[in-house]
Amino acid sequence: MADNIANSNNSVNSINNTTLKSKGLVISGEFGKIILRQRSGENIELGELLVADTLTGKIILQAYDLFYGSQISQQNLELVSGLKLEYSDNQELEFMDPKLRNYTLAALKPMIATDHTSAKLCKLLPDFFSSVREITKDDLKFLTLERINNPLYVGKLRSGSKMLDVDIFLPGDKVFSHHILIPAQTGKGKSNLASIILWNQVDKDYCGILVLDPHDEYYGRAGIGLKDHPQKQNVAYYTPKNPPPGAKTLVVNIRDIKPGHFYGTVEWSDPQLEGMTSYFREYGVNWIEAIIQERPLSGNIRYNEATIAVLRRRLLSMLDLEYSNNKLYCGGVFDLIAGQTTIKDICNELEQAKTVIIDTSSFGGSAEILIGSLVASEIFSRYKYYKLNGLIDQKPVISVILEEAPRVLGKEVLERGSNIFGTIAREGRKFKVGLTAITQLPSLIPREILANMNTKIILGIEMAPERQAIIDSASQDLSTDNRNIAALDKGEAIITSNFTKFATPIKIPLFEDVVRKTKAEHSLQNSGIKREFGGVNLQ
Amino acid sequence: MKFAHLADCHIGAWRDPKLRAVSNKAFEIAIDKCIEEKVDFVLIAGDLFNTSLPSIESLKIAATKFRELKDNDIPVYAIAGSHDFSPSGKTLIDVLESAGLLVNVAKGRIIEDESDKSKSRLMLDFTVDKKTGAKITGLLGKRGMLDRIYYEALDLANLESESGFKIFMFHTALTELKPKDLEKMDSAPISFLPKRFEYYAGGHVHIAADVNMEEAGYKNVVYPGPLFPNNFSEIEKLKHGGFYIYDNGLLIFKEVKLHETVCIESDCGHKTPQAVEQMLRDSINGISKESELNKTPGLNNAIVTIRLSGKLEAGKISEINLNEIFDLFYNSGAYFVMKNTNALETTQLTEITIDASKPEEIEENLVREHIGKIKVSAFESSGNETERNDKEKRITQELLVSLGNERGEGEKVADFENRVREEVKRILDI
Repeated sequence: MADNIANSNNSVNSINNTTLKSKGLVISGEFGKIILRQRSGENIELGELLVADTLTGKIILQAYDLFYGSQISQQNLELVSGLKLEYSDNQELEFMDPKLRNYTLAALKPMIATDHTSAKLCKLLPDFFSSVREITKDDLKFLTLERINNPLYVGKLRSGSKMLDVDIFLPGDKVFSHHILIPAQTGKGKSNLASIILWNQVDKDYCGILVLDPHDEYYGRAGIGLKDHPQKQNVAYYTPKNPPPGAKTLVVNIRDIKPGHFYGTVEWSDPQLEGMTSYFREYGVNWIEAIIQERPLSGNIRYNEATIAVLRRRLLSMLDLEYSNNKLYCGGVFDLIAGQTTIKDICNELEQAKTVIIDTSSFGGSAEILIGSLVASEIFSRYKYYKLNGLIDQKPVISVILEEAPRVLGKEVLERGSNIFGTIAREGRKFKVGLTAITQLPSLIPREILANMNTKIILGIEMAPERQAIIDSASQDLSTDNRNIAALDKGEAIITSNFTKFATPIKIPLFEDVVRKTKAEHSLQNSGIKREFGGVNLQ
Repeated sequence: MKFAHLADCHIGAWRDPKLRAVSNKAFEIAIDKCIEEKVDFVLIAGDLFNTSLPSIESLKIAATKFRELKDNDIPVYAIAGSHDFSPSGKTLIDVLESAGLLVNVAKGRIIEDESDKSKSRLMLDFTVDKKTGAKITGLLGKRGMLDRIYYEALDLANLESESGFKIFMFHTALTELKPKDLEKMDSAPISFLPKRFEYYAGGHVHIAADVNMEEAGYKNVVYPGPLFPNNFSEIEKLKHGGFYIYDNGLLIFKEVKLHETVCIESDCGHKTPQAVEQMLRDSINGISKESELNKTPGLNNAIVTIRLSGKLEAGKISEINLNEIFDLFYNSGAYFVMKNTNALETTQLTEITIDASKPEEIEENLVREHIGKIKVSAFESSGNETERNDKEKRITQELLVSLGNERGEGEKVADFENRVREEVKRILDI
């Protein structure tokens, strides 16, 4: 046996004259569960990346479980611990060669096999008694050599809780059109991640992003945000209240609303839905006014008075309208005169690859979904037209960022009837329109839709059913990552995607740091072009 | 407090003398109504004239009516609009101000940022109306949203902190109030305007609309539209012009109507030229009969627009004898008849037509399409690509405006050439 160990070590050393310290030896296991004995004095963390050198290259492994090993029987271990506890003068009591007799074992899974320049899925086991060492930047050359079109920066590669100086990029156009899911519990860095993604995309021309922002946090009205980006002209901010200079007031003309936009916003009965459609057919763009003013329908179409009364009441409430003295008054986001081009303007901006943030913090969930629905329907319909007419390749990818996604993609919501977001989740990628769904409760989203979300950036989730929903629908096998996901600290994430070679652990930078750094760099290169104000009578 | 808000008077507009006379008359009638209504003052939110160098006739009309207002102790507060602002920064508004006939309220100071000239701020001053104490300020308008930099540099804090009854005058399209058919028009968000003023007197967009957006910080945001429509499609859409009167918080739109407007829109698809002629004859008969029946003016003294569209079944467009049709309209009492056949096609020949009703849009589109296609070394050093493109767009548009100016009445050829040369030098910064 001693010979075996010597031979094995020699063979690895002869392949790789590395001076890197071994963190342990492979001692047993099977494919997908390789057991490593940890060297004393070393610490292997859950999620840590390790390397086993082979004759042809390297195998990158990840620790997914840690447990104790001992040469001493359980009975003797209990006896020794009893002696230590009960007799204080026996504190010095110890086994002989304790480092040899008690140790830590780690369960590893092979992530990928690399031959320095390329990487492929690992289909072999490292040699028995292989020395396993810490990962270095050099081991990940294949990541930096690979050319990614439209790279989207998401953070640095992470090994356990340690951050490696290796930037992780995703193919932006592909991941956006094939939907992204960001599942995480509160406080794990969802907003920070979304801000980082948005920040890195603002100056790129391959993607337009629509952000429905229920917490008004991304623009940075009161703190830092996308308004601080050097290319802030690519960011359009719509808010209904007290817009800061340059922002647009969110006002939507009620004549832009069609019955279909209400699907999925609140629960409608069949007669109510039919009623809306009948009024739309008869009165066209004035259908909402017709219902509120209780105008009659022609022909034999009759609805129960109560149905129309409920419709009227709900429309008045959802759209924040008031009807008195035979006149309709608008008090909120929806208006009879203003906002005639708002939806088109937003879609045009998205087509210009801009980031459009809609502050929905001041109105109820149904109004927020209605506005999202208006924009999403218009852009989806445009992109369908582009596809039909062979123009789609000239257009940027569109992504709609949905916070608390189960509100529109939840099983219960979709069972009540399809909405535009469900349609985009199922068909959007064919038309270059995708969703970026953010949620604490992925288990509420139907499995079919979860599986369609081809990139998942998983942050810390402590609730087991939520972890399971993600694991079951991941692009890579995460069956052993349950504990890894539970142990993810703030800002730590695992990316599982059809567009990455392996489930990639990352550390997401702090948004504040990124903004501060960019601003410092940018302040050194201001344009200095003098402003002139010809035509103003200057004193 | 009672004041009138006019905009887009476009004195001297229309090539046709009959329509130009109507347009000019609309201005005279509007001023007469202001005097009749005994307003405290009159606001003119840009585009008083149709060009930056108006004819003597146009100047005379304006000066005469302003004199009448002055004689009635009604001051006029104005800003220059995109039509009456010359690239050299000069405008006839200044001449009228020098003559004491109006006050240009776009005045202020530049607060320089010595460390970065690109961050200089524009601080506007208020003009106080002596009679009412109303505090008025505003910004001029420029073509192609070149006034945007004024708004970006505008110091809002000093304007918003001022107390009293404040009015802000502007001559620009506001994104939130753009009508659907002007979707592609360059615009600025309302948030560029200072908040919490009592009245926002707008110009430039040819619509009549008043909107309250109090949650956003803006109330009484008003566009009165032109006093008389300025082109074919505006006649179809607006029929007539008008202006607003603010009477102690109440907004009243005063229509200025000199002629009835009759708009005929016909789909000529699958029709021969002869059938189209017959259809138009039928229209005349129909309008006349309806007028007799309902005792309405019908075609009498009316401005008539005829818009023909669709693909003719056979024959050429020129085979439609529109002259004869026009004569029929005139014989029925019409004041003026005009046609638009841009969307009319024939099976024999496909004409390439451009909607000539909005020349600014055509210019804007052409400039945008050609940006960066010709390498100009002077632009290469102008910052990043966006800044270079902005500069190229601004210079191109300013050159278009400058070179589009006609020789003023009484201006010598040499003086005209010199003026154009100087303006071009200034634009190109050479």
